[in-house]
Amino acid sequence: MKPPKSTTPSPGRLKRLIEHANGCTDWWNDARRSTLPGWIWGLWWTLLLMIIALTCGQSSKFIYIDF
Amino acid sequence: MIFNSISYFLLFLIPGAVGFRLLPPALRSWWIAVLGSLFFVYYSVTELAGWLGAACLLLFLWESILSRLYSPASRWCLVGVAAALVSLGVFKYWNFFVGLATSADKNHPWHWAGQFLPLGISFFTFEFIHYAVDRWKGRAERGTIGEYLAFILFFPTMVAGPIKRFQDFLPNLREPSKECALDWRVGITRILCGLAKKFAIADLLTAFTDHLNPTDVATAPRWVLPVWLLAYGMKIYADFSAYSDIAIGSARLFGLKVPENFDWPYLQTSISGFWRHWHISLGKWLTDYVFIPLGGSRNGLAATCGSLLVTMMVSGLWHGAGLNFVVWGAWHGGLLVLQRCWASLVPGESGPIGRAFGWIATFSAVNLGWAFFCMDLPTSMLFLRRLFLG
Repeated sequence: MKPPKSTTPSPGRLKRLIEHANGCTDWWNDARRSTLPGWIWGLWWTLLLMIIALTCGQSSKFIYIDF
Repeated sequence: MIFNSISYFLLFLIPGAVGFRLLPPALRSWWIAVLGSLFFVYYSVTELAGWLGAACLLLFLWESILSRLYSPASRWCLVGVAAALVSLGVFKYWNFFVGLATSADKNHPWHWAGQFLPLGISFFTFEFIHYAVDRWKGRAERGTIGEYLAFILFFPTMVAGPIKRFQDFLPNLREPSKECALDWRVGITRILCGLAKKFAIADLLTAFTDHLNPTDVATAPRWVLPVWLLAYGMKIYADFSAYSDIAIGSARLFGLKVPENFDWPYLQTSISGFWRHWHISLGKWLTDYVFIPLGGSRNGLAATCGSLLVTMMVSGLWHGAGLNFVVWGAWHGGLLVLQRCWASLVPGESGPIGRAFGWIATFSAVNLGWAFFCMDLPTSMLFLRRLFLG
């Protein structure tokens, strides 16, 4: 499903989009249970995988592991 | 490593999540308990404290047996709380307190030369205490032993949270989400974002934060000190929120939801706002099991301020067995006290300028506080002296 047509960009909408792209919310619009189009998810996952592939291997322990 | 290792995904997460979905409901709790035990043993042996660390799985078995005796107003609940605190005290704070008593004499017979920290002890201890207290108060259902073992041995949250509550986890465990496609889309996105945050932000910032040591702090040009500290503030946020993302995303693959830990903490305009949005599950735990039992906000301003200070110092000591962590906790406690006093003097909502000032003050104070968190006390004092006095 496509996200609803936006009217004007606002900090609230941007925040919601970032949270949705981060997997913090299930739906871009809860009432309509709509999410981003599949091809955007595909691009986003590809980009994330590329970032991971380029930057992994120099990793340290997570800070909170030793707590 | 753990969450950023291939073994986590191939040996535990993917088989665990797929198996959980395929198994009949009656076996699911035991599946989580068995996998959690294997996870604890595997990473204890390979990454932390060896076979001795793995033997600490007995702590979970002891706790699960003891938990069967808990009932509302039962003294066994207090025994459970005491047992959890004793094990945390021995493993995490023994050498710290012996050091305080013996002027850090490492040859003293009481000094434990081979001290080690069992995997995730700071976090699972808090879940043990939560269950004992909530059973004592009648706030949590008993659950079966399999369900309780699944709660304490759920490996995505075992090592570093988010700190769960049994009454929230149990209904979810009994009826996990059936929207498999949605859970996997959200879970995988969350895990990928967490890994990207860890590798591309947190680990790259190590190039700056590695300089926060006595030699570099003493010799570096003054202007670079705030850059290093700010880098640490960003690193710890990226690192721990990445960890939480992977934990929450991993749980989601099982169809289980666990609490959120971060909600834009660096955008908050007050220190209390910061603590409501930073490590949220810990903040709620400390509120319910330390701050409120100490009197909370019920007994006037002075008592409230005292409770705040003690709570934040406990939080500091929980973060690490060192005086620098106690000072870090006291720093935040002091800021919360200041905010309370200010709110009592100047009640009402602040306008846009007040909020902008609040954000600058909060962001600066939080980042300044990281100096105590990431360096030992003498180094952090040297850092602050150089930062402010040159």
